[in-house]
Amino acid sequence: MGKILTDNLASGMILGADVRDRNGRLLLGTGTILSDRHLYILRTWGVIEVEIAGADDGGKGHNSAITIEPALWSAIEKEIAPLFRHADNTHPAIMELMRLRILREAAHGNH
Amino acid sequence: MATTDTTPRENSLEWLINKTESVYTLPIIYDRLTEVINHPRSSIEDITEVISKDQGLTARLLKLANSPLFGYFSKIDSIGKAATIIGTQQLQAMALAVSVTEVFTGIPENLVNMKTFWQHSIACGITARALAIYRREANVERVFAAGILHDVGRLVMCAAIPDIFGELLVAGREEKALLISLEKERLGFSHADVGGRLLEKWRIPESIAEPVACHHSPDAARKFPLEAAFIHLADIICKSLGLGFSGEWVVPPLELSAWERLDIPANALAEIIKHVEPQLSETTAILRGSAP
Repeated sequence: MGKILTDNLASGMILGADVRDRNGRLLLGTGTILSDRHLYILRTWGVIEVEIAGADDGGKGHNSAITIEPALWSAIEKEIAPLFRHADNTHPAIMELMRLRILREAAHGNH
Repeated sequence: MATTDTTPRENSLEWLINKTESVYTLPIIYDRLTEVINHPRSSIEDITEVISKDQGLTARLLKLANSPLFGYFSKIDSIGKAATIIGTQQLQAMALAVSVTEVFTGIPENLVNMKTFWQHSIACGITARALAIYRREANVERVFAAGILHDVGRLVMCAAIPDIFGELLVAGREEKALLISLEKERLGFSHADVGGRLLEKWRIPESIAEPVACHHSPDAARKFPLEAAFIHLADIICKSLGLGFSGEWVVPPLELSAWERLDIPANALAEIIKHVEPQLSETTAILRGSAP
């Protein structure tokens, strides 16, 4: 049993633990076989990850399908450097936001 | 005979607020709503009655309650149902959020583009709300409202001191300097101070006004440091990703104590942001209506 990010869930997976909202109210119980409708509920309630029966803990990682050429990556990285000049780019949060900005720029195809 | 001059010095914080507070006022209905919500013996019916007098407000609140931001399954087709399901305090914060974008009219467009300004503000509100949901906070709507209001101090500056603020904007852009630092150097206070003071004058709850005042210095918040930290991080996220634009060309520094207080793992940010983006355009359309 392991946690899986809501975005990586698929219908047919079985909940390994109860899903509760921020007030502790039960949304979906252990053993629920997830349908598309359930996936919708989980997303709209802001549930980030859930326990899935039979999933190994390796399932938690990023399921990134986007691959970017290293040259493009460094070109965008250079371009956005001025934006982050007052931020501490060794901080994990800032590093993550820089990564997301680069992915965003690459996805929008401005390069 | 010498008289004590109590007129605030030109370009001081108080002067700025005095100059604009008669121009920018919240709709009277918001005061009535606050009054009825705070009254110990008021009922859902009383609250419904106040809101229903304003058809525009009613329509926008219901649209918001039925938008993907909330994601309720059953349709919320009346204010009474919204108050029951979402909660009266939350409804009050939502009323503030849907009212405020109409308050600021006549801001010089050469200084600030209202469309991108509100895009940034609304993105910040939605992001702050998503961070609060991640942390399983109880009243996420006031965080949403505070996010939407966080930069209104900039609008006050645009309106009251357009020449000075115009110079600061140009300097910020050309030197890639932090606009908030330029504001403090030139004026002795920042747009966060102005926003906080205006909301105080408007008698907005401190749980919203203080996070606005402290969104660049969340550690300075005495009562609501967590709420201030939500707005602080949300602002940084929106600037990092280029969601809207409020005059600042660079990402402001992240306050370490605020980051630690939030206790959100860095690798959760992508997931949180993924939930924010689909909500941006619809929420903006609801809050701004047909405004250009």
